[in-house]
Amino acid sequence: MKQEISALMDGELFDDETEAILDKLKQNPDKYDEWRTYHLISDVLRQSDHAHANINIAIRERLQAEPTVIAPHSRVSHNVRWFALSAAASVMAFTLVAWLSVQIGPETAPQIAMLQSNSNAVRSASLPTNGLDDYLIAHQEFSPSSDVYGMTSYVHTVARHQEDK
Amino acid sequence: MKARCALIVVSFFTVAPAFADSGRQVDIDWLQTIAFATHRTDYSGTFVYQHNGNMETARITHISDQNGEHEKLESLEGPRREFIRNNKEILWYLGDHKTVQVERQYSGKSFPALLPEQLSALNENYLIHTAEQARIAGFDTQAIVFQPKDTLRYAHKMWAHKDSGLLLKAVVLDERRQMVEQYTFIQLKIGGDIERMQEITGQPTTTLQQQSHFTTPSETITQTATNDWKIVAIPSGFKKIMEVRRPLPGKKTDAIHFVFSDGLAGISVFIETLGNHFNRKLGLSNRGAIHVYSREKGDYLVTVVGEVPPRTVMQVADSVRYRGQ
Repeated sequence: MKQEISALMDGELFDDETEAILDKLKQNPDKYDEWRTYHLISDVLRQSDHAHANINIAIRERLQAEPTVIAPHSRVSHNVRWFALSAAASVMAFTLVAWLSVQIGPETAPQIAMLQSNSNAVRSASLPTNGLDDYLIAHQEFSPSSDVYGMTSYVHTVARHQEDK
Repeated sequence: MKARCALIVVSFFTVAPAFADSGRQVDIDWLQTIAFATHRTDYSGTFVYQHNGNMETARITHISDQNGEHEKLESLEGPRREFIRNNKEILWYLGDHKTVQVERQYSGKSFPALLPEQLSALNENYLIHTAEQARIAGFDTQAIVFQPKDTLRYAHKMWAHKDSGLLLKAVVLDERRQMVEQYTFIQLKIGGDIERMQEITGQPTTTLQQQSHFTTPSETITQTATNDWKIVAIPSGFKKIMEVRRPLPGKKTDAIHFVFSDGLAGISVFIETLGNHFNRKLGLSNRGAIHVYSREKGDYLVTVVGEVPPRTVMQVADSVRYRGQ
């Protein structure tokens, strides 16, 4: 076998013999290592700049020896990806809800309206009264509803509100 | 009556060409009549306003003379809250603190004509038809219904005085036909001698000025040429009618103000730097049929206000984009 590998390296084999031995090398890891070792010896003897040491194994062993150094970085990037994915999922879910709420038929709409009025009840008081009034007045000046209702539309600002009490 | 004759002439020339084939000329005319009466009739009365399960009364006085429009709106319950408007200037009395805030209106609208574009938008988004006749506050009225063609806006029903066209009752209904808000006059005087109060036709009294501190916003309001901000998902049927950079009361920096209209309801979008608001809470809020939704967008605060259902203002707020982001 060693002679065959040597002959193969020297290019002394016919095509069919070459194929046969290459098949053997693929099926037999030990012989494959031998083939690589011969090449390494050959390269070193010729002082080649590209000596093909099998550094894969060496690196893998070192990586396994130092798992804690590498792991945090990989975990962080994993988290970022997870966050991005979940954010994307949230956006998609929201888009779906928004799309549904636009597309929704009159029969299912009331439930949505009820949910929204519930959230209203919870959050209505959160805006400071005066801050809200500023926006209302600025809005009412230009709103078409003022054309029709006139100053009566300002009752929204004049009226007492629950947050005032 | 003279006003009504003038109106018919005006509305014939403005509306007839646009809607000659709509077949709803009479119903559209009613809205013109209401808008005209709201701004050109002298009246004084008390109305009941119902919203969110609350009920309260307010008084309104409106005078239109050679100097323009003067009106006063005051709450008759709770802390003192009132508006006094002299043409473009609004005096705003807040609570019991005797503070007066002066607002200068920028729009320079010339009432009472509704623009033809507004009427055509109205026709696209609402089915308008006359309904029953009813008696309200002792006056004979005609009811007009504005039924929306989708659920992005509310239904409106208005009762207009048959002679003057004045709006005596109005109700806003949601998609389940539930009342969102309503106001009804319970007592009203139309024309004749309307009591002219000092505050209405003249300057406010000196004592009030001494007690108050004025915050006069700068009068500059500029049409923005900037395309930095876009609202990408404007609800169907709404068209942009205005985009300005303007001062807001109590704010150090100007806000960008967009206004969208579907002919009857309006949506305002305010965009300002977050630095204006240290304690500002976000989310949904409402005043009767007007919903407000605030959210942060980067270093900016986006506030959407409109006489529309909650999800319409939320849809608008969530679709505000900066430079195509």
